[in-house]
Amino acid sequence: MFKQPVSSSDFDRNFRSEVTEHPDASGLSACFSCGTCTAGCPIHEVFPEYNPRKLAKMVKLGMRKQVLSSPYIWYCATCHNCEQHCPQNVKFFNVLNVLKNMAAKEGYAPSCWIKQTEQVAKTGIVFSIEEKWVKKREELSLPSLKLDGKKAKKIIELTCADKIKARDSE
Amino acid sequence: MSKYALFLGCTTPTQVPQYEVSVRWVCKYFGIELIDIEDFICCGINQVNLSIEAGLLMATMNLALAEAKGLDILTLCAACTGALAEAIEKLKDKAIKDRVNEKLRDIGLEYKGKVKVKHISRVLYEDVGVEKIKREVKKDLSDLRVAPHYGCHYLKPKSAFEGFEEPDNPKTLHRLISAIGAQPVNYETLNLCCGGKVFPVSEDLVHSLVQKKLDNLKNKRIDAMVLQCQTCYLMYSDRQKEVNKKYGKQYNLPIILYPQLLGLALGADPAKNLGLNLHTVAVDKVLEKIT
Repeated sequence: MFKQPVSSSDFDRNFRSEVTEHPDASGLSACFSCGTCTAGCPIHEVFPEYNPRKLAKMVKLGMRKQVLSSPYIWYCATCHNCEQHCPQNVKFFNVLNVLKNMAAKEGYAPSCWIKQTEQVAKTGIVFSIEEKWVKKREELSLPSLKLDGKKAKKIIELTCADKIKARDSE
Repeated sequence: MSKYALFLGCTTPTQVPQYEVSVRWVCKYFGIELIDIEDFICCGINQVNLSIEAGLLMATMNLALAEAKGLDILTLCAACTGALAEAIEKLKDKAIKDRVNEKLRDIGLEYKGKVKVKHISRVLYEDVGVEKIKREVKKDLSDLRVAPHYGCHYLKPKSAFEGFEEPDNPKTLHRLISAIGAQPVNYETLNLCCGGKVFPVSEDLVHSLVQKKLDNLKNKRIDAMVLQCQTCYLMYSDRQKEVNKKYGKQYNLPIILYPQLLGLALGADPAKNLGLNLHTVAVDKVLEKIT
């Protein structure tokens, strides 16, 4: 990730505060880059290029474009190990969500999450149900599913989550 | 005994009905009343990726629906448990709660802050209790050596679960397994994440994680992995087949959800009551060991 050096003159000095202004990411200011988050990260273990410490440091330096356009900010498995062991109580999982929201607004979201949001607006859940499972539910005497997305759609519209376009949409 | 709003989530009802049917059977057995709320939607955990606000609103809508009926929520999915519990934690901030309620008003709901969320295993552990479970066991499971898998969001963030579990050294599933006479086996990658939440983004990452745990469990004479979340279930069962193909492996580890194993110990019918005939990795060898 980011093999080319980025000159400090290209840093966006406001990026750090833009991120930490969000209550979910305010804890990042306390990070002293010890790397405990990375040492305990299961994704880092199988894919070392995904590196929470590096991402945190890049945010603090102001590497706005490099962070928000990075596909790796979407690689978190959401296991919460990073915050579980962080000596500074930084909730990196939440910091990442703030970064992902910012990236999504700028058109960098992977299409899988856009499609899920569209699905939720239809059925209220992130899937539809295949006919074979409808039959299995009947065989098991389970109640039929309502799968009504009206209220979910309203919520998505209220938060403008339906306005987000995917990076691979064009 | 106790009464809960049953929160099915997205994956269980549409892809893993064997989990749902076994939970309904086990709850009925112990007199836990489950109320279906048709208007429940996705817990919002994946929407957080695009909009933290949308995710929080979805979680809160579900909380408000249960609250309006005076019920606490019983979850099946570890991630739903985490998402709803995290929302409750967040909504303790009055300013956040007021902001969320202002939007919920548009769909005719209000969240007051009276509802609790408990995963099925926690309900079994706290409401029924290990001693009561022990007394009800009808079958002999003592030959079964099983690997527990907890599911990250069942344990973390710790602050959302009132100190119920110790994420680095979890115990409840071990105890629930021991209660029915089977042997929970410890292993090095016990706390390794299944990767389910990153599966839509990268199947490769998940295959690597799944392979790592399956590799750790081979040569340990394990009869099955026992888990408590349908997403973890799908990662270790359906993805197990993919991992075999991709890496040229021959893993053949049965994956069972805890309520199914509990049901077996209580004498339930494996197919009709527990859906064990629907498993991707056949469980016949496990059933043969139960007498």
